[in-house]
Amino acid sequence: MVFLACRNFDPSPSRLDLVASRCRWSSNRCGMSSVNRFSFRNYGTGVDTGACKLAWIRPGIAGAGCRVSSFQTPQSRLSVVAQDSASTLDVSPKPRSPVSVSNLLQVVSDDLRTLNQNLKSITGADNPVLVSAAEQIFNAGGKRLRPALVFLVSRATTEIAGIKELTLQHQRLAEIIEMIHTASLIHDDVIDDSNIRRGKDTIHQLYGTRVAVLTGDFMFAQSSWHLANLENIEVIKLISQVIKDFASGEIKQASSLFDCDVKLEEYLIKSYYKTASLIAASTKAAAIFSGVDGSICEKMFEYGRNLGLSFQVVDDILDFTESEEQLGKPAVSDLEKGNLTAPVIFALEKEPKLREIIESEFVEDGSLDEAIELVNKCGGIDRARDLAKETAKLAIQSLQCLPVSKFRSALEGIVNYNLERID
Amino acid sequence: MVSLTCRNFDVGRSRLDLVTTCGCNSNRCGMSLNGFPVRNYARGIATGTRKLIWGRPDIARFRVSSVQRDRPVLNVVAQESASTLDVSSKPRGPVSVSNLLEVVADDLQTLNKNLKSIVGAENPVLVSAAEQIFGAGGKRLRPALVFLVSRATTEIAGIKELTPQHRRLAEIIEMIHTASLIHDDVLDDSNIRRGKETIHQLYGTRVAVLAGDFMFAQSSWYLANLENIEVIKLISQVIKDFASGEIKQASSLYDCDVELEEYLIKSYYKTASLIAASTKGAAIFSGVDSSICEKMFEYGRNLGLSFQVVDDILDFTQSSEQLGKPAASDLAKGNLTAPVIFALENEPKLREIIESEFVEDGSLIGAIELVNKSGGIERAQALAKEIADQAIQCLQCLPTSDFKSALEGMVKYNLERID
Repeated sequence: MVFLACRNFDPSPSRLDLVASRCRWSSNRCGMSSVNRFSFRNYGTGVDTGACKLAWIRPGIAGAGCRVSSFQTPQSRLSVVAQDSASTLDVSPKPRSPVSVSNLLQVVSDDLRTLNQNLKSITGADNPVLVSAAEQIFNAGGKRLRPALVFLVSRATTEIAGIKELTLQHQRLAEIIEMIHTASLIHDDVIDDSNIRRGKDTIHQLYGTRVAVLTGDFMFAQSSWHLANLENIEVIKLISQVIKDFASGEIKQASSLFDCDVKLEEYLIKSYYKTASLIAASTKAAAIFSGVDGSICEKMFEYGRNLGLSFQVVDDILDFTESEEQLGKPAVSDLEKGNLTAPVIFALEKEPKLREIIESEFVEDGSLDEAIELVNKCGGIDRARDLAKETAKLAIQSLQCLPVSKFRSALEGIVNYNLERID
Repeated sequence: MVSLTCRNFDVGRSRLDLVTTCGCNSNRCGMSLNGFPVRNYARGIATGTRKLIWGRPDIARFRVSSVQRDRPVLNVVAQESASTLDVSSKPRGPVSVSNLLEVVADDLQTLNKNLKSIVGAENPVLVSAAEQIFGAGGKRLRPALVFLVSRATTEIAGIKELTPQHRRLAEIIEMIHTASLIHDDVLDDSNIRRGKETIHQLYGTRVAVLAGDFMFAQSSWYLANLENIEVIKLISQVIKDFASGEIKQASSLYDCDVELEEYLIKSYYKTASLIAASTKGAAIFSGVDSSICEKMFEYGRNLGLSFQVVDDILDFTQSSEQLGKPAASDLAKGNLTAPVIFALENEPKLREIIESEFVEDGSLIGAIELVNKSGGIERAQALAKEIADQAIQCLQCLPTSDFKSALEGMVKYNLERID
């Protein structure tokens, strides 16, 4: 059914553009688990009160909105400024075995630590305002999913190439990826409605729109500059495409709010632009720097793409299935803002009444709740779940070209972990 | 005297970093229309009345006041300082500017068409914005410089025509410039926006930030696809410099300890960096010797710095009537530019007033008078001329041609604004 619905959903690169033009991930939720006593990198607002925060992140590129509510945690949270979806820690309400995530990333924990140190120094080096902002953004600790993926793929592929260590380019690539991601978050904070920022201040709140726009610009600029200095044309083009996709995705989304004619394909395009594009480019570039064969690089691209799409779909599902209490903010904020995601798109195929309600833009009291019910009733969530699983399967398949290793296992584990969020 | 004050002001590349600490904070550059179409990104343009426009040649901001005009000016959204059309109050020979650019008029026309299609192709929201940003007509100074240097240097290399890379470089430069203008509109205080709406006003902050990001992204992508590592690095440096310059400026408002060097650095970051990279990039694509590429870089750098200093002077010398807004707006906002920095060396009282941030009525006027009285303007004028001379010298490596003359003409035209 999923294939019927997304007939262009095909891992082969020849269809890449079609597939790529499909995912639009506009959910604002991804859900991050209760911390369960391990520290995590948390870009949620309002996190350093010492209370455990349930942080939600929208794995979208251009603006993760981390909304945070409170619950107890034994570790002081790092105050982080930009909202970040980097860590997809499990967000389910009951404690999952979070240890599996930290285990997954354990194999690259040294790489991540070095990353954290380097990030602080390559970003706001010259300017005191940026230094404070950088402190907030890149405070040590926690997990960084996108750089982690770069390290995992790097290490998984260097094995093939017979290289022992990661190269400087691998390291710098991971830093660039995280900077780009963070820059987009900073800008997203600027363009988001302010009522979704809670708790700890974002750069936007602390220093205002001007500094937030400038800081985001600066970080994009820094990452472009470091990218250029990697002097690898293929990777430069790959990553430049991502930045272009970010902007395209945001604009696409902004111009199609409440549009009930949106097709699944467009949703997938947008999700690709906003989320999967960066991940796909990261994993492919990591393989490029390992010097492995072009076919393996393509497989890594597909892995990243499918993983990214799968993340997005899961986030979109959680936006519906998590309660307000679990999410820490009103549920279904995507729907409310007119971002129509997978569950809704599937539901719209069955429920004409849903269309009416959405097109009314929820002006009537209770109409949002009614819409949620309709989405649930007509199987929109279930079909979205299938979509997430199908995409995840494709991601796992893409890993088959890698030799068995703990890094490959970790890459598989990340796919599975994401799915567990919606079990 | 200029050499004593800016001892690091040295054309040689080895001093580049020190020199580039020039910070130009002026918001005025001045452009007059005098009956010829001008590419004008100022707000409030399309009313059919002639506008006296000021631009800040950095990222650029035009303030527009109205003057009679018999030709409709294009609406442009982002504020633009691209064209340094003459802003002096009496009509200069404006024809000299259009003459200067006449030699690359066709190139500019092609550029305009391409820009619209690049930006508009993607998204309906951007199509309208693109229309506003890249409405046809007018002059585009930065791309014009790319074309002039391209053509001046292809002669050396024995090439007849501009390459696609030359053209794409010009488009990229204009996109980067425009993107920075769009963001700058977001960062500005809204009370300086008048007349025609910017993207920011029309569509809000969100779209303005996005549109700017989109254009930066597009230009980065096109840059990457030029597949020339040297140029990619050159232009990436510019984008980094823009952000650095804006941030530097924002964090040093009202700081009377600012040295001329810092002012020059800021001016470099905000204005000259892009121009220098453009002119050098053009030479690189012509395939000429790297020593000539370096000279082109220095030409661009000196030209850009000279632009900025002139703008900063005009901010003081133009009356509010000519400017269409209160004079000395840089000073009012705490951006301390060349005239002020020179004046501060002589006038302790000026420091007090500035540090008070002009809370008292009349203190700004008092400050302006002090700047005038203490010779700050004259010294700044001398600075502009010194820098301009260095720009002209950099052109000596080029064979005589219409294009070289036009490049010299640009330098002179800029200076005429303060004669």
